[in-house]
Amino acid sequence: MPTDSRRIAGPESSTNPYSFCTEKPRHDLLKNGKRQDGRKENNLRPIFLKAGVVSQARGSAYIEQNETKVICAVYGPREVVRKEDFSMKGLLTCEFKFAIFSCRERRQHQQDIEEKDYSVQLLEALEPAVCLDKFPKAQMNIYVTVLQNDGSALAAAITCASVAMADSGIEMYDLVAGCAVRVAGKNLLMDPCNQEEYKPEDETGLTNSGSVTVGLMPSLQQVSAISSKGEIEFELVKQAVAKCVDVCTQLYPVLQQALVKSVSERQNEEG
Amino acid sequence: MVDVLLSDAEKTFIIHGIQDNLRDDGRGCEDYRHMEIETDVVSSTSGSAKVRLANTEILVGVKAELGEPSSGKPDKGRLEFFVDCSANATPEFEGRGGEDLALEISNMLTRAYDCPKCLDLGKLCVIKGQQCWVLYVDILLLECGGNLFDAASVAVKAALYNTCIPTVTVSQDEGHVDIELSDDPFDVQHLDVTSAPCIVTLSKIGHSHVVDASQKEEACCLARLMMGVTEKGTVTALKKEGSGSLDPSSVEEMMETGKRVGQALNKSLMEVLCLEEQKGKKKEKTGFLR
Amino acid sequence: MAVDIRVAGARERPKPEVSEELNNLVTPGDVITSDTGYLRGHGTYMDDDKLLASVAGVVERVNKLICVKALRTRYNGEVGDVVIGRILQVGMRRWLVETHSKLNSILMLSSVNLPGGELRRRSEEDEKMMRMYLKEGDLISAEVHSVFADGSLSLHTRSLKYGKLGQGTLVQVSPSLIKRRKTHFHNLPCGVSIILGNNGFVWIYPTAMEKTEKTGGYETDLQPVTSADREAIARLRNCVLALAHHRMLLFDTSILYTYEASQKFSAKYIPKPEVMTEIIEIARGRLEREGT
Repeated sequence: MPTDSRRIAGPESSTNPYSFCTEKPRHDLLKNGKRQDGRKENNLRPIFLKAGVVSQARGSAYIEQNETKVICAVYGPREVVRKEDFSMKGLLTCEFKFAIFSCRERRQHQQDIEEKDYSVQLLEALEPAVCLDKFPKAQMNIYVTVLQNDGSALAAAITCASVAMADSGIEMYDLVAGCAVRVAGKNLLMDPCNQEEYKPEDETGLTNSGSVTVGLMPSLQQVSAISSKGEIEFELVKQAVAKCVDVCTQLYPVLQQALVKSVSERQNEEG
Repeated sequence: MVDVLLSDAEKTFIIHGIQDNLRDDGRGCEDYRHMEIETDVVSSTSGSAKVRLANTEILVGVKAELGEPSSGKPDKGRLEFFVDCSANATPEFEGRGGEDLALEISNMLTRAYDCPKCLDLGKLCVIKGQQCWVLYVDILLLECGGNLFDAASVAVKAALYNTCIPTVTVSQDEGHVDIELSDDPFDVQHLDVTSAPCIVTLSKIGHSHVVDASQKEEACCLARLMMGVTEKGTVTALKKEGSGSLDPSSVEEMMETGKRVGQALNKSLMEVLCLEEQKGKKKEKTGFLR
Repeated sequence: MAVDIRVAGARERPKPEVSEELNNLVTPGDVITSDTGYLRGHGTYMDDDKLLASVAGVVERVNKLICVKALRTRYNGEVGDVVIGRILQVGMRRWLVETHSKLNSILMLSSVNLPGGELRRRSEEDEKMMRMYLKEGDLISAEVHSVFADGSLSLHTRSLKYGKLGQGTLVQVSPSLIKRRKTHFHNLPCGVSIILGNNGFVWIYPTAMEKTEKTGGYETDLQPVTSADREAIARLRNCVLALAHHRMLLFDTSILYTYEASQKFSAKYIPKPEVMTEIIEIARGRLEREGT
């Protein structure tokens, strides 16, 4: 990996102290019907969502689900820079980044493979919702930064980015709500936090262990993103997807409310 | 994807055909094109395979090297995927042209294989926390004729089946650890790939979906669902790709098809691999001649 | 048959037939003749009064003229050829067309038939409407009008048999496999028509969908094709590919014989190597017997 010479690099080799105390994989994600943070299987974490938080961006949004905090800014539409990118449809780009300090272990400032993968998934989740044919020759850029990661970062990013897009006034067919679910054994844990998230290195010994993330356009009832990790039985995947679709539909009013609020605030400022 | 240009009428023709369950080459919606496979094609690798799916051709080489295990899994070997979109396939791949596609394929494969039961990586551990076998799986696209993901996953599974890892013996001597590599070329261990996944791509075209879309069909398709499916029918990875969206009910239908076809694909792949192994050295090699 | 995977190499390789023609094969740098009385044609060059080949292919002699015809080549256009092309770009008063030629071919606005009669002045209005007639990706059948000095082709569609193509399927084969005949448009008895472009593009379409003359053929019929026609098109497509795979010349009789020989198999099995070999052998035998 090439290093960036303009940055002061940390010591050549340093170790995160947490790497010495090996975390035991959790076998008891659900105890007497309750999860570790006291939630029930179906409960989501409280959501705080606000549009219009980055004053200089065309549109922006911030989402907080307890300790998962994601901020998103949208720039554009503007002329495409590279000539060969010309097309009759608008060009949408997406950059997903974990802040260096957002996770338990320090991340690199350059996008790693996981972040690039998330960028593509985020892009594909939002593309169907944007009226790209209304913006020939133009590009729109979405930048998502995860300030703090406590699980379900991609799902939060999808929700956040769609609200930011809507906040920027770019024409859209619908919003996109994101939702994640952890599959552990026969249990479906909605909106998993970091401890509950699926990690392939954990030897849980469960036949079904994995996670599913779904992006849904709620009023069109169209799935715009779907992704899963880990080995899961077919019937459970189906259940998990169906449940995510349900939850996304329930999230819709939250997204609407955040947008309405930001619009009315702007109206007050102007009038 | 490598795009081809089609006229509206050609697209209409393809879409209507898929609705009738009769595609432009006579196949039904759940049929794969003719696929040929050959393992052990590159002798400088630990295992290799070449897959030809109609016009798509993919060569996979596996190299086993000794390295350090990752910190998260000290008692496991490592599996690394790298995809090379050769400009031989299409001039579009020249320079960094194929990078995005390459990353997408390798990410999908990494995800599909990233579950403990797919492949017993515990067998690849040599000294816990210090030394393990690292399997570098390099995928080379030689020709692109549509449906790269499925063909790549089939080739990877075949190459892993073909992989021979030399036996090593570890001797401990006053805190000094010696690793001895067996010099007998037949003293090797094989990997058990029976529960390794294959990727099935389902392309939504019009109101129906098809497996193994040709390049022309890919040009008509807005949304694809890719699934990693094992022999038992479990799902190891799921991904929607493309700029379109899908109805929840059609997602369900597509997953049903994907599971069914994926199991069939795994089954016939294992059968053909066993068949080839039985033939052993007597097998007539085709290599790259056609 | 959902999935059918084979071991490569398990199939038999058809033995190449040795014919007298083999003596005529040359590779670049081969001396064809050191006699100075010959004329230098395509695919050859002169060095030290010797005539040498510059491409790998078959030597052809016409009186004093010697050419070498490369077998796997891009299409070298000749005036009067029927070609099938795909519109790449809409430009000023012209369309750029991909015809598997060395350079892109050109279709001038003045060399197409516009709706409303043949003798019509092309107005500025027509220039603006160009994308309405033909846009990027559209397929056309045309005739080579002239060849420019740089080798690029100028096409025309000023006959009712040429113009925009509707529903159907395109197959690409090597241009040298298309046999030059009087006509390249064929209505086959199976309800399907075929256009064998000299540039190696083969267009297969349902006969029933022949364009109506009133609209100038710019409006395509997007009604679904019947299953029977579709089946026949798929079968024909696979037959054409089988013929090309076995390096057989494509013309109406060879295609029809292959089509008839393929009847005992379902269309989707034709691409299997053994089926392909079998039906091609039947068709080849029949062609040889009839001496065509």
